[in-house]
Amino acid sequence: MDIGMAEPVITVRRISKTFGTLRAVDRVDFDVPAAACFGFLGPNGAGKTTMMKMLYGMCRPDADDEGTMDVFGCDPRREELAIKHLAGVVPQENNLDDELNVVGNLMVFARFYNLPRAVARERIAELLAFLELADKAKAKIKELSGGMKRRLVVARAMLNAPRLLILDEPTTGLDPQVRHVIWDKLRQLKRRGTTILLTTHYMDEAFQICDGLLIMDRGRAVLGGRPRDLLAEHIEPYVLEVFDGQEATGIDACFGEALRVEASPEITRVYGHDLEQLRRVAAALHSDHYYVREANLEDLFLRTTGRSLNAVQ
Amino acid sequence: MPSSSVRAYPPLRQRLYSVWFRHMRVYTRHLVSNGLPPFLEPLIFLGGIGLGLGHYIGEMEGMPYIEFLATGLLVTAAMWTSAFECTYGTFIRLEFEKVYDGMLAAPITANNLIVGEILWAGTKGLFFSFAVLCVLTVFRIVHWPNALAAPLLGFATGVMFGALSLLVTSFVRTINHFNFYMTGLLSPMFFFSGVVFPVDQLPAVVRPFAEAVPLTHSTRLVRALCVGRWDAILWWDGAYILLFVLIVGYAAVRRLKKRLIQ
Repeated sequence: MDIGMAEPVITVRRISKTFGTLRAVDRVDFDVPAAACFGFLGPNGAGKTTMMKMLYGMCRPDADDEGTMDVFGCDPRREELAIKHLAGVVPQENNLDDELNVVGNLMVFARFYNLPRAVARERIAELLAFLELADKAKAKIKELSGGMKRRLVVARAMLNAPRLLILDEPTTGLDPQVRHVIWDKLRQLKRRGTTILLTTHYMDEAFQICDGLLIMDRGRAVLGGRPRDLLAEHIEPYVLEVFDGQEATGIDACFGEALRVEASPEITRVYGHDLEQLRRVAAALHSDHYYVREANLEDLFLRTTGRSLNAVQ
Repeated sequence: MPSSSVRAYPPLRQRLYSVWFRHMRVYTRHLVSNGLPPFLEPLIFLGGIGLGLGHYIGEMEGMPYIEFLATGLLVTAAMWTSAFECTYGTFIRLEFEKVYDGMLAAPITANNLIVGEILWAGTKGLFFSFAVLCVLTVFRIVHWPNALAAPLLGFATGVMFGALSLLVTSFVRTINHFNFYMTGLLSPMFFFSGVVFPVDQLPAVVRPFAEAVPLTHSTRLVRALCVGRWDAILWWDGAYILLFVLIVGYAAVRRLKKRLIQ
């Protein structure tokens, strides 16, 4: 799915991955332009992580597949080393070495990239400053907060000055301050020309930093495009949320096709194109337990992937 | 920051070294708790034999019993450390700490990682064997310069048991399964591979078992080395070690890779 802009540096066509009888990734297509931030959105078990792992050789696509992948001119099936050398990866779990301190962790990783000691030391100092960890250089891993560990893993992924940064749920479980710091760093990296791929459950994260999105569900790419375009094209711009199910009964009948009503046991959501119309509907309710707002990615996401839980959620 | 050029990834030797380097750094972080026991263990063994059991047993294969047993310890120490490293150690890195997920994001392949583990197991074998050698030297049980080469057999033993243990690990789903390997295979090997008494003493039915397992061959080689007594069968022992490492190592890489790369 094309998000316009520069020439793509990652091209994936009809890639599938099956685990036993489970089709984890099912004929997925997408393009990522250079220096863009591209996000995979989807519920747990949608295939986001598997898709990203296939890009750097940690997961092999189905052998009988007609699919193709191109990552900076390399095929992950044959040239995983080249891809890993130009890419940095932040896995879902932090997996730092508790036995080593902050600098120790990075020095061990610098060996993997064959960085000379002096170069590694300089790079590590730069990265710790960049990720606001400079005063933690000698700290033990156990002394770090969740946010610090996450930033350290980002620093580790950046040791070899990657052209591609792959992040699996970079901010899951972190407080808002840390999330905003990480987003700022990712924006800065993008400006310097780094291409970024990430998975996330957070719609605000996707909206804040992604230039392109791919919504996945049960292994399939369901929707893709620029966040703003997706909203404009696939969901009404406004929503009225009524927090009392009883109050909302009958809205559907009164306004017919102009409004779309999604009822759940506790909240009824009324989607529409006309803000004034929604306000009139709200005013007619016999309660002030309602809220009118702009529709966001979460509304789109839930509309696309459904509100009920799947087997792995 | 300089940009990295495509395909300029480190060469094989460097990739294997970086896996080894990671393990070495983590291991040497706790130098006292990791580095002291290898020296204490042979001391306890020799104390037990020298002060007690040794009085009841005279000579074995023409040497004082303490020398017979002690030379065997040069390779059993390597066997145990390497087996623990590549069973519990590997399993914890694989399943609990997820260390390999991080390492495999760097420019190394799963094959590099597994071979690096085996080389590290060999290194630990070398170190533990060296620790035993130091103790034996202090007590004048072995003699230089011959015995100086014993840690090399510690390395070979470490590599053999590293490969075997990784192969076992590739089958294991919960960490408790290792009990079968430790008590079911390694403990019997300790007693029936010529370390505690010569394999010729074994009943004819058990003898093939002793010849089939790796420890018998390291033990025979290291003892021959220490006492300087050469025999044609040692060629077979050397060939066995080489073949064992190649075949079991290949199988371990093949199987464990499937656990690492989905």
